[in-house]
Amino acid sequence: MKKSKLSDKITAVLIIIFIFSFLILTVFREKKEYSLSENRSLAPYPHFSVQSLEDGSYIRELEAYMADHFAYRDEWVSAKASIESDMCEKIVNGVYIDDERLLNADISDCSISAENITALNKFTEDYSGTVYFTAVPTSTGVYGDILPEYLFLDTEKNQMDSLYTSLDESIRKIDTYNILKMLNDNYIYYRNDTKLTSYGAYYVYRTIIQKLGFLPSSYDKYTIKHITSDFRGNLYSRCLYNGVKPDIIDVYSYSGGAEITNCTAYKNNGMSYRKKLNDTDFLEGDMYRMYLGEEEPFIRIKTSVNNEKKLLLIKDSYADCFIQFLIQHYSEIAVISPEHMEKNISYFVDPNNYEQTLFLFGIDSMENEKLFELINK
Amino acid sequence: MLYSSLLFIYGFLPLSLLIYIITPESLKKTVLFILSMIFCALNSLKFLEFMIIYTFINYIAGAFIWILREKKALSAVPMFMGILFDVVMIFTFRTESFAFLKKNIPEEFFPLGISFFTLSAIGYLIDIYKRRIRAERNFIKFGLYLMMFPKIIMGPIVSYNTFKRMFKSHKSDLSEMGIGFTIFVKGLVKKVVAADTMYMLYTAVKNVDIWKMPFINAWLGMTAYMLCLYFTLSGFADMGTGIGYCFGFRFPQSFNYPVFSTKIRNFVSNWHIQIVSWFRRYVSKPLCKLGESRFYRNVIYIMTWCVIGLWYRFDANGLLWGCFIGLSVVVEKLFGRTKLLKATGIIYTYAVIMICAVFLSGESISYSFNYLLAMLGGNKIFADSLTLYLLKYYTLLLLICTYFSTNLFRNMVMRSGKTKLRMIMGIFSPIMTVFLLAICTALISYNGISEMILMKL
Repeated sequence: MKKSKLSDKITAVLIIIFIFSFLILTVFREKKEYSLSENRSLAPYPHFSVQSLEDGSYIRELEAYMADHFAYRDEWVSAKASIESDMCEKIVNGVYIDDERLLNADISDCSISAENITALNKFTEDYSGTVYFTAVPTSTGVYGDILPEYLFLDTEKNQMDSLYTSLDESIRKIDTYNILKMLNDNYIYYRNDTKLTSYGAYYVYRTIIQKLGFLPSSYDKYTIKHITSDFRGNLYSRCLYNGVKPDIIDVYSYSGGAEITNCTAYKNNGMSYRKKLNDTDFLEGDMYRMYLGEEEPFIRIKTSVNNEKKLLLIKDSYADCFIQFLIQHYSEIAVISPEHMEKNISYFVDPNNYEQTLFLFGIDSMENEKLFELINK
Repeated sequence: MLYSSLLFIYGFLPLSLLIYIITPESLKKTVLFILSMIFCALNSLKFLEFMIIYTFINYIAGAFIWILREKKALSAVPMFMGILFDVVMIFTFRTESFAFLKKNIPEEFFPLGISFFTLSAIGYLIDIYKRRIRAERNFIKFGLYLMMFPKIIMGPIVSYNTFKRMFKSHKSDLSEMGIGFTIFVKGLVKKVVAADTMYMLYTAVKNVDIWKMPFINAWLGMTAYMLCLYFTLSGFADMGTGIGYCFGFRFPQSFNYPVFSTKIRNFVSNWHIQIVSWFRRYVSKPLCKLGESRFYRNVIYIMTWCVIGLWYRFDANGLLWGCFIGLSVVVEKLFGRTKLLKATGIIYTYAVIMICAVFLSGESISYSFNYLLAMLGGNKIFADSLTLYLLKYYTLLLLICTYFSTNLFRNMVMRSGKTKLRMIMGIFSPIMTVFLLAICTALISYNGISEMILMKL
């Protein structure tokens, strides 16, 4: 009896020390607004009001604040990923953990929004040139067969097929799924991200550029520069699992070819500035931003190519590493990111000045029903 | 705010404990009451308003029953009024009925724990009417009976008499606190590790078309559901009990390792002990007095279990679950003489409990019957690739959960007497408790809370 009393006392003391030290560490910890490892803004301290206390939103926000600013959060979350993936199924926060790579396993109810299809068809109707459309699979679409069977339903392939059939006939659809699937022994997708690597983007480029009416540049013309080998992408940010090797980011440059003469970015408020592509300053934060820098709704790239060919590229982040390959073919490339547009497309550019428009999106972006809200007048 | 959240474990709990310890003995009750009110307010101010009105009405009803105690017939009026109010409230929030009462209340508002404190309140009123206890004069004491934060969320429920005795024998010191933390962490592990992973297994099984569910998967899924239910309910009860110990209240145990029993009767008597005994005390006992025959008593027994089933889940599924459990106990009694081997007993009890649980888990009666068909091999598929996958990743966990849902571990420690094992446990247990708390913290660190509660009770 005596022994157990002593051990109870020790338990009490240890637990009290443990709990209070984390309470104190959390309270006096320097509060960050942004988490680099998770690549997202952390919850702010909730604003107190009787109303928010009344409906319980205050406490929900306080719980989120506590979780986001808990002492050693990153370490705790990494530990969670390791514990969970050792203990049972290898799925942590909707991310499937394989020895080789992370995959998005949160594919339960994604469907392509009908609004996007309508908007695309409408855009084509009003447009004088030719519209090309490509949906790029995510890493789950290409490597999904390593997922447990009940999660891998081959949805992306089906989604793409149904998307292509429901688009207007005058839109030229370019399929990239098969080529990427065929090459999946190569480093075409990041291990810690859902997106394509530059190498994967090169094969997408080869497929697309032929449809756009050019001969693709051969692979050995490019000089490849490893920018970093510490890239951890969006899948890593969701689970902070350290067991998968970090990724390499490459930049391809065409030796002796055309160069960018002017690259200007335009903000939603009309301001514009000269932009530097492949800016290594961005390696401090979200490394993937290195390709295009700060996210802007519109970027105009002028090159030293002398063929008067102009391309309107409407894209999401999947295309960031793809743009470097287009420089050899167009004298002007207008890059529109509908995700970041707050104003109608005509505020930035008149599509009819461009004889070709290419839509390049990750298939998962097409679930966002507001994506193409502003691309029609 | 649930007990299984960072804000509670690393915020509310240590701070309230600190305040409680430094308050002088005479003010402790008041402080605990204020802390409980803050706990309610932290869930939402609406919850606090609701609790105060609810407590006050029951307090008044109790007082009136006591004042009119000399006239039995007359004192029944406030009792029925009080019970009616409690029952209407539980129906309002747990079902779609009395929707007009909820007009000014946001739709997502749910007073978590209402099924528990309703039972406490009704029991209190009946006990006064039966003159087992006096009405409580002290509003704070009575308020603590319903609102005390260690028990308000699915915590242990006790009769008012027991509660008062706990108050008298109340003492908080360091070793008591150690026991409390150990129980709390045990409950937290049950919730965060066992229940949450078992829930993942259950949903993985359920993800496929019910017509294609293989035999093995169906059994795996139901085992996972049952363990998940057990670990969720007993996890919250343990967390509540543990916090109670930290504040010096010795709440009774809620579950006594029911899931793997040798008889259904043992399952029934060890499952959610206070809830089941509440229904026995206030529902079946009074009714049993009306008739002597064995048949009548068996009918009452089954009916009581139907009500318990409805308490867990207010629809036909809950009713069927309770009905089947009651029925199987009665049938077992009829064949009571039959001697069974221990292993056979465990297997048959397990099978019956799983088949009953199908009704508690399924979203509709027809789904449950389809699931039952899969469990009986009606889909003519024994196993598939998913089975292998699930077995690969969950077997170990299932075995561990099964082991800790039986009393094997406890018996090993208890029987060891003064041997070395006990000493090792004494040294080992403090470290283990801290270690497990750290594991749970890691597991809830991403969202800051483990919210899955399976049933809104």
